[in-house]
Amino acid sequence: MKEPPMSSLRGFVTLHVTGPQVEKFINAVTGAGIVIWDVRPAGSGVSLKLLLDDFFTLRPLLKKTGCRMHVSGRHGVPFMAARMWKRKFFTIGLFLFGVSLLLLSSMIWSIKIEGNEHIASEDILAAAHQEGIYPYQWIWRLDEPDKLARELTARLPGITWIGLERTGTSITIQVVEAEQPETKPLLSKRHLISRTDAVVTEIYAEQGRPVVARNSRVKKGDILISGILGDEENAQYVVAKGDVKGLVWHEYNIAVPLKTTGSSYTGERKDRTYLVLGKWAIQLWGYGKSTFEKSRTLTEHDPLVWRSLELPLGWMTEKELEVKETTDTRTPEAAQQAGMEQAKKDILARYGMDSVIKSQKILHEKKENGKVYMKVLFEVEERIAEELPIVNNRGE
Amino acid sequence: MTRIGRRLRGWTNGVMDLPQDLLQNMPRITLIGNKELYIENHRGVLHFSSEQLTLALVKGSLVITGKELVIRNILGQELAVEGIIGEIRYIESEEHS
Repeated sequence: MKEPPMSSLRGFVTLHVTGPQVEKFINAVTGAGIVIWDVRPAGSGVSLKLLLDDFFTLRPLLKKTGCRMHVSGRHGVPFMAARMWKRKFFTIGLFLFGVSLLLLSSMIWSIKIEGNEHIASEDILAAAHQEGIYPYQWIWRLDEPDKLARELTARLPGITWIGLERTGTSITIQVVEAEQPETKPLLSKRHLISRTDAVVTEIYAEQGRPVVARNSRVKKGDILISGILGDEENAQYVVAKGDVKGLVWHEYNIAVPLKTTGSSYTGERKDRTYLVLGKWAIQLWGYGKSTFEKSRTLTEHDPLVWRSLELPLGWMTEKELEVKETTDTRTPEAAQQAGMEQAKKDILARYGMDSVIKSQKILHEKKENGKVYMKVLFEVEERIAEELPIVNNRGE
Repeated sequence: MTRIGRRLRGWTNGVMDLPQDLLQNMPRITLIGNKELYIENHRGVLHFSSEQLTLALVKGSLVITGKELVIRNILGQELAVEGIIGEIRYIESEEHS
C-alpha cells in the first residue's frame, strides 16, 4: 500500500516539517494512528504526505515535539473544489460547455435524401417531419430506424423501399423509387395545316388523311393532313401526325458594313485588391495609376459567406485589362459573303436545323455609306406543317 | 515478563513451531533486492536521513544505510523503505528496551 485508498478524493497535503527532533514527530504521528507516506528527507527536515482529515490533529503533536511545519502542496478533490468555488463562473462555464456539447450532439442537424428522381425531396422531408424526423429533433425521441423506414414507406406513394441511417447527428434517407410507366403527352384531335405558302416536296402521314400531294402548291392555312376520317355521316376524329416538307421562298434585306471595329485584350493587366468592410473598401495592393490608353475594368466581389448568410466582409479584386481597338476593312465581295452566311444561319435558326437551302439569288445590290445593301431570295426546303385543333361544335 | 511466562512461551514455541516474530516481538524484515525493505514490528524511528535510517526495536535497534532513502509509508508498527539499500545492521542491546 503506497497511500490510503481514495486519498485524492479525500484530499491530502504535502508538509515540510523542520525541527530538532523530526524523528520524534514521526513516531508521535504514527503513534497517534495517523497514516503518513512518502517521507523523504528534504533540506533540514523531512517532507511527508498525509490525509487532509488528519492534518487538523497535528497541532498538538507539533507542539509536543517542538517541530514546525510548512504546507508545500495541496492535492485532491477538496482543494480543487475550493479553487473552483473561487472561480465560480469559470466552473459554471465549464459545466455548461459539457452539457451543451452533450445536448447538441444528441440532436439531429441535417437530413440528406438520396436516390430520388421523380419524387420531390420536399415531399419526402414533409413525410419525414410527420414521422418526427426533422432538424433540431432530439435523437432519443426518434423511433427505431427500421420502424421509421417502414412507416415512411407507407406514407409515400410510388416508393419501393426506404432505408434510414443515422450517423452521428445526420440522417440519410435512401430512397428507391418504383418504376413508373412513361406517361405520353395528351394530344387533342387536330389537323396539320400549312404555316406558309409553299410547294409540297414531301408528305408522310403517320396518322390522319393526307390531303395534298407532292409538288402541289399550298397557301398559308391549307389543310395538309386532315384529322377527320370517313365521310360526312360517319366521321371519326384523330390526331393528325406526320411530316410535311415544302419549298418556301424567303426574301432577305441584308446590310453589311465594310468597316468593322473590334477590340481585343493585349494581355497587359493591373490588379488591385481591396478589403471590403461593409460599405467601405480599403485598397491593399496595386496602388498607382495604370499606363493603359484604353482599358476595361472587371470587378469581382466575393464576400465571406457563412451558410447562406453573406457577411459584410470580404475581398474585392479589380482587374484592369488593356484593350486594343482594331478596325478592319473588307472588300465588297467579302462583305457580301458575310451577309449571306448570316442570312443562312438565320434561316436555319428560324425554320429548323433540317432545313435545306436549295438556291439563292441576289436580286439587288448596292454600295452606300460604307455599307453593302443586298436583297436576296432564298429557296428553302423546310417543314411547313402546323397544328390546328379540331373544334367540335356540332351541337348547334 | 515473568520467568514462568517466558518459559511457557519458549515451550509453546518449541511445541507448536510458531514464527518468532509473533511470540517474541521480534521484527520481521523483508528485503526485496536492494530497493525495497519492509520492517514489521518496530518501535519507532530514531534517526532518519537520506543516507541512514535507524529504527528502534523491542531489543536493540536496526541501522539501515544506503542512498536516497525514503519512507514510503509508515503505519503503526509497519514501515516500508525505498531507495538503494546498502547495509542493514542489527544492534542488539538488552538495556535499550
